[in-house]
Amino acid sequence: MANKASKHFIHIVKYRWLWMALSVLLLLPGIVAIIYASAVNPDHIPLKVGIDYTGGTILQYGVTQKVTNEDLAKTRADLQGIGIENPYLQILNVNTSQQDKTKENIQAIISIRTKFIEKESHTPDDIMAVLQKDYEGPELIQVSSVGPTMGKELFKNSLIAITLAFLGIVAYLSFRFKFDYALAAFLGIIHDVLFVIGIFAILGIFFNVQVDGLFMTAILTVIGFSVHDTIVVFDRIRENLRYYSKKMTFGEIVDASVNQTFARSINTSLTVLLTLGALYLFGGVTTKDFVLAMLLGIAIGTYSSIFFCSMLIEFWNDKPATQTAA
Amino acid sequence: MRNKILMFWAIVAITLVSIGFIVAKPAKLGLDLVGGSRLILEAETTNTIAKITPEVMQRLQFAIENRVNKLGVAETVVQQVGDKRLLIEIPNVTDLKEAKAFIGDTAQLEFKKEGKAPDGTPIWISTGLTGQDLSRSTLTTDQTGQWVVGLEFNAAGAKKFADLTKELTGQQMAIFFDNELQSAPRVNEAIYGGKAQISGGESGFAYDEAERMVNLLNAGALPVPAKVVEENTVGPTLGADSIAKSQFAGMIGLGLVMLFMIAYYRLPGLIACIALIIYSLILFALFKIIPVTLTLAGIAGFILSIGMAVDANILIFERTKEELRAGRNLFTAINSGFDRAFTSIFDSNMTTIITCAILYFLGSSIVKGFALTLALGVLVSMFSAITITKNFMHLIFGTGDLKYPALFGLRKDEIGAGFSATETTRENARFGILD
Repeated sequence: MANKASKHFIHIVKYRWLWMALSVLLLLPGIVAIIYASAVNPDHIPLKVGIDYTGGTILQYGVTQKVTNEDLAKTRADLQGIGIENPYLQILNVNTSQQDKTKENIQAIISIRTKFIEKESHTPDDIMAVLQKDYEGPELIQVSSVGPTMGKELFKNSLIAITLAFLGIVAYLSFRFKFDYALAAFLGIIHDVLFVIGIFAILGIFFNVQVDGLFMTAILTVIGFSVHDTIVVFDRIRENLRYYSKKMTFGEIVDASVNQTFARSINTSLTVLLTLGALYLFGGVTTKDFVLAMLLGIAIGTYSSIFFCSMLIEFWNDKPATQTAA
Repeated sequence: MRNKILMFWAIVAITLVSIGFIVAKPAKLGLDLVGGSRLILEAETTNTIAKITPEVMQRLQFAIENRVNKLGVAETVVQQVGDKRLLIEIPNVTDLKEAKAFIGDTAQLEFKKEGKAPDGTPIWISTGLTGQDLSRSTLTTDQTGQWVVGLEFNAAGAKKFADLTKELTGQQMAIFFDNELQSAPRVNEAIYGGKAQISGGESGFAYDEAERMVNLLNAGALPVPAKVVEENTVGPTLGADSIAKSQFAGMIGLGLVMLFMIAYYRLPGLIACIALIIYSLILFALFKIIPVTLTLAGIAGFILSIGMAVDANILIFERTKEELRAGRNLFTAINSGFDRAFTSIFDSNMTTIITCAILYFLGSSIVKGFALTLALGVLVSMFSAITITKNFMHLIFGTGDLKYPALFGLRKDEIGAGFSATETTRENARFGILD
């Protein structure tokens, strides 16, 4: 079954340069955006970071009515409408001391967390106007600046953990496969993560899209999926090598393996993308960017495991394979 | 065949137990999904620290973050508000009062020696060796089986401790925790190893007491006292409105996945869907038993693990179809579907579990929640995608003459003559027919 090379749907070896060029083409705009944004952004970070990383201002408003989910959704949309990006809206209950301090008999407190508001700016007035439209008797009861929830220390710790996880992956794959497979899988992860960060750098530059604390989780998911997907293809190459290494060249085996696993690769991604697609289209606003990052990552992860990673090991193993075949 | 039927009832039993747990125990959901309590903590000045500087606040925040993590609740928020306040949001913990006491405890550890007050009365005086000189603390027992708090000093602390014990040989040395005398052992000789123990005096420590002290020491002392000045319950950080919509969307997504599986893989697809439902039930029961505080990051881990569970079944079915197309008979095809897909399922899941272990032990709270649910999900999926699906496949295709290729989404002409070929005895044996 594996030697019907002519019936192959996808040719890794034949179009090797095309796949390399396609990867470059996919990554290049993002890399340019990352470099550009790193140079332009104040902290030299490639992405526009949200208040989870930078801190911001919390405004608390008391209202003399109960607040429902629909009210929150409407207020969120209205606030976005007057240019307040990604506000965190929460409903607080009222404790007695707060009730004493306020003029009216307030029923609920709406807490709005947003980026830093300058003292002289008219943002508080704008927010008040929105709230007066949406609620009965809003009253500003507290304004305070807040620090980041994802501080530098926490961020650094997470990066260290991820780096060590990478080493773990490379070590395991070197043990179960070979070092060059491990390296290809690792480069596949870098390929996928770079793509997602690149797209968000572009979105940051053109649409002012910010990343929040959840972005880290999305990247972790992309890494997890990327390795998983690549291993399935590599496993097939390993299996075919066992049975056909005398009859076929390494390139033929890679081609056959990729084609044999192709339906599975597409179907698996499709199922995950169906779930994420539904979450993106019908899910809540606050998690849209999070879902988008995962969608992009899983799509590119599927591409990289089929084309990029297998192309790499074929490229590295090209010479020895032809020699044994000759 | 008997083994298969036994296995089937075992699966049914596990499913029912899981449903029982899901119904009986409440779910623990994170701050981002259901909200919790918002505490405002205010730093207070002391005799030694007269002014709350940004540097003091940073140390306070770090210590409080450590403590909140020790509470064992996922994804808490600690951030500075204004100049001398900290905002802490914790998900619904069972005992908020206890949590507040734990967070606010200053946890000052001090070693003192005998001295005399100006009027001649004996008092304990500071030696300069404090909790800041510790590298870590452990909970252990001594020779008599009493719970003791083990201390390990850092390099500087070990030197101080050695000097101090040399100086105090033959005298008493007192250990104070939060200005309370814990024990005052007599020093017999200088101690060089940089290790020490606190025993709970004559009555000894209760387990809880010793554990709490170890946790506090490991989290570090607060540089200044802090007290709770405000307390509210608070809605989810992601917005209750958003979460309701996402729940609905998630249901649609899963429904679509099931439709796809059935449309593409037919009867095996349906079996996979049932296995997937059982998988979710077992996993949710585990979340409740452990218990795992579910946050959005955790749910991302869960979605990824569902993806991997579905993938395992897709791998198996694709392989089975491939074997059928190559002319293998039904039994051989199903068995090699499982056998040959196993190595890739095993290797990819092992990689995931290794990654999760590293992330869980080293990562911060967001990363931890993700790693935990993903690892659990992958472990359960090894059971569901392989054992459950295999059992159902064997029971359904092993009983009668199901010779309709359409059940696998294949056409008759795609399948070689081998499809109706007689099975070898070996294949039958492996399939459980000869049991």
